Amino acid sequence: MFRRVLIANRGEIAQRVIRACRELGIETVAVYSTADADALYLREADETICIGPPPGKGSYLSIPSIIAAAEVADVEAIHPGYGFLSENDHFAEVCRACKIHFIGPEPETIALLGDKVAARELAKKADVPVVPGSDGPVEDEARALAVAAKIGYPIMIKAAAGGGGRGMRIARNEPSLVTGFHAARAEAQNAFGDGTVYLEKLVENPRHVEVQILADKHGTVLHLGERDCSIQRRHQKLIEESPSAALTPQLRKEICEAAVRVARAANYHNAGTVEFLLSRTGEFYFIEVNCRIQVEHPVTELVTGIDLVQQQLRIAAGEPLKLKQSDIEFRGHAIECRINAEDPEKDFQPSPGRIDLIVPPGGPGVRLDSHAYSGYRIPPNYDSMIGKLLVHRQDRPTAIRTMLRALDEFVIQGPKTTIPVHRQVLSHSDFRAGDHDTGFVERYLSPHPRIAQGKDG
Amino acid sequence: MDFKLIQKLVALMERGKLAELEVEDKESGLKVRLKSESSVQPQPHAAPVVHMLHGGAPAMAHSPAAPAQGGGEPAKPAREGKTINSPMVGTFYRSASPEAEPFVRSGTRIAPDQTLCIIEAMKVMNEIKAEISGEILETLVENGEPVEFGQPLFLVKTD
Repeated sequence: MFRRVLIANRGEIAQRVIRACRELGIETVAVYSTADADALYLREADETICIGPPPGKGSYLSIPSIIAAAEVADVEAIHPGYGFLSENDHFAEVCRACKIHFIGPEPETIALLGDKVAARELAKKADVPVVPGSDGPVEDEARALAVAAKIGYPIMIKAAAGGGGRGMRIARNEPSLVTGFHAARAEAQNAFGDGTVYLEKLVENPRHVEVQILADKHGTVLHLGERDCSIQRRHQKLIEESPSAALTPQLRKEICEAAVRVARAANYHNAGTVEFLLSRTGEFYFIEVNCRIQVEHPVTELVTGIDLVQQQLRIAAGEPLKLKQSDIEFRGHAIECRINAEDPEKDFQPSPGRIDLIVPPGGPGVRLDSHAYSGYRIPPNYDSMIGKLLVHRQDRPTAIRTMLRALDEFVIQGPKTTIPVHRQVLSHSDFRAGDHDTGFVERYLSPHPRIAQGKDG
Repeated sequence: MDFKLIQKLVALMERGKLAELEVEDKESGLKVRLKSESSVQPQPHAAPVVHMLHGGAPAMAHSPAAPAQGGGEPAKPAREGKTINSPMVGTFYRSASPEAEPFVRSGTRIAPDQTLCIIEAMKVMNEIKAEISGEILETLVENGEPVEFGQPLFLVKTD
């Protein structure tokens, strides 16, 4: 096992990794930008190093600064967390060249799976269904129209290098395909420096179901069940749960096995997530692989009892998984609500600033992963997450009741938060019936639902 | 490495809230006596590591250029002048090579385009320019010592 690990991230995930390391007896080196100098989790680290100014470009995204800190602090491994450099194959490559273990898959794997067109080909070869589409980049308007005619409308235009909804357009007819095609290309070029786009059939009102994978360096690939992340707003997840109310045991078996096949085909090791769209009629389609620990990983930790971050550290250190697929048992139902400093009344605009008072909820079945404290200033430079509130109960209705109770207990004075939105979702009859999809938030919670839909079309 | 050992001892003192610590290593004949600065201050400071200063004090999170106050670095407070802070994380070198003369010492007149030191990061030797003119009052970092972003390197009397 590693003796000393650097955490190339901030906020709750930096804290989460420090916690895992401390329990394993690993020394931690936390790096931080000047905007995070007063973060409390830094005190839990064995060493802290300021690596740059507030903008991510000069600190958490600066490969030279992080590698220099790793060399100065003499660490054996770097945990990249999520976001920032976590899925940057160049960073993983630099780590390898500097003889520092990158806690995640190999750079070649990250590069392969980061290219959505290549990832789709890989899934097809692994006999995993993909959404019908262009099978590769679409270079011009005429080709886009021809492909669309073949697979049928509505069509989704996506950036090959994209993510987080950028470089993405929906077209319901030929004219909107033409305008959307050019808009998506321009947006992708601006956002990612790569204007390559491809087309896909739009699966309407799908559910977002993802499968957690753990794979070691010795050929063992396990799945830890699924998470249903259908409650999203503009492709940003708000609520995640496991198990998914939409899967039958047979469908669950199929989707989890498909995820394992993708991971095997990609020669994947460490923790990863295979994302799928699940249609209303029970077909599932591969979307992408996330080569990192995910924000919502505690959902899986609760239902399986497996500490995913500790497993990541063990796998990266070369330990074989001590588990077999049959050892993994799923107990009860877990739900996570992302508590963000956003104002739901004002189109979820960020609400940074000082948290005057925070009183976390507690009691049976409640877990809170948060780096916030009374007096903490949420810096305006990064994401707006205050914390992740989770519950684990014997079944879904009980978990929903416990979550509503915990949300009621949760006091956050200062910034506006997403707590009222979670209350609304959890109280909605469609959500309670497990009959919801990725369009739920736009349909029921947007202040102008028609306008929100019009933007897409 | 001696420096690493001292770092660890300092961390140990911080954790145990010790004011003074004496350690003798009979093998190397090394004897270290550490005295905590914070024992002088009435307020215990919670900085986890002493050799590295936070680039911005809590109340000044938005002004990264401002040097931290009272982070545990001795001889820095209550001196007139302006500090030149490290623009990056790395290892500080006073001269171009181990045999060479330091770029500057106390009393050296400096011009904006003059090299003051080298900071090595990722095997790259980065020459750090003065960017102001004046006179070096003091070099605040030892040769070969790691520095973090925003850490004061030189104290300068500006023109």
